[in-house]
Amino acid sequence: MSLIRHLLVIAILFGASVTSGASAQGSSLARSDRASTTSSVPAEVLVVLAKEEAGKIDPQLEKLTALRRPPFNSFRSMTILSRPKLKLTPGKDALVSLPNGRRMKLTLLRVMPDGRYKVKAAINRPDKSDYLPLLQVVASAGDPFFVAGQTYQGGTLVVGVIVDPKKSAQ
Amino acid sequence: MESPKTQDDKLQMFFDGELAPDEEAAVRRDLEGSPEGAARLREWEQVRAAMKGVAAEWAGEIDSDALFARIENEIGAPVVPIERPEHGQPALHVVPGGRERRVWGGVATGFAAAAAIFLAVMAWPESQLDPSPITRGSEVLEADFGSNTGTIFEVEGGAGESLAVVWIDDEEVGLP
Repeated sequence: MSLIRHLLVIAILFGASVTSGASAQGSSLARSDRASTTSSVPAEVLVVLAKEEAGKIDPQLEKLTALRRPPFNSFRSMTILSRPKLKLTPGKDALVSLPNGRRMKLTLLRVMPDGRYKVKAAINRPDKSDYLPLLQVVASAGDPFFVAGQTYQGGTLVVGVIVDPKKSAQ
Repeated sequence: MESPKTQDDKLQMFFDGELAPDEEAAVRRDLEGSPEGAARLREWEQVRAAMKGVAAEWAGEIDSDALFARIENEIGAPVVPIERPEHGQPALHVVPGGRERRVWGGVATGFAAAAAIFLAVMAWPESQLDPSPITRGSEVLEADFGSNTGTIFEVEGGAGESLAVVWIDDEEVGLP
């Protein structure tokens, strides 16, 4: 009878260790995931020239259904001008040159408790602060935020920023 | 003169043969002195003779000495342990392999419980394991448009999430 009890205790302890191991693995993955994102997070900047004139919509933008909704639905053509990928490091500015001579400065401020990323953005000419001095946004992984309104070559620049740990930076 | 009770007691002792010889002779004379007493005396002698005859027969048939000797032998005999029959109680037989089956049954039960716990934990929604809820989309916390004017929009994404759009009025700038 004591042998049965010992075996039962061993089996229950085994099950508990397996479950706790699985939980620990999950939590450790979450921690490592957040740690890696805290150290460096891949991001992508989508620079689109949108015009009200009839034209083509870049096929790569078809998945971004938000660009077909207001306030973007007045544009009938969209062309991707550049699609730079970069890494955002907390406290370190990442610069992206825009076709109009301005530069977009992105800074990862922190990873929120809910997993979203708090990002600071600014768009200005070099050594100037005449356009967008400050913008602070929180975004979940893979969900973009847009800055639009700059006029360029008869159209409007639409800049989308996507922070996504799954994307690899160039 | 004796009381009736004393006379009855003396008669009883006379019939039982417990009186002294002189008293027994005196009682016998009194009984023989009356017809009723003589009749009672005759009945008593008949009963006494019959009882003596029966007692003599029993005494001849039963050997009391042998009987008591046998009883004493039985009491003084050593205790002999009772031998159990080899196959007396089949219900109590040990079935070969029964213990092993119980052991493996316990092991199987334990592993089944562990597996159930494991599956329950693995099947538990991750959102309930992670205390922080998953929030989708993006939103503007702070915006400084400087000398320009701007508008903050929310546009619906492909999964229904809310995406932030900052629209700033601008005059085209030339390349530096």
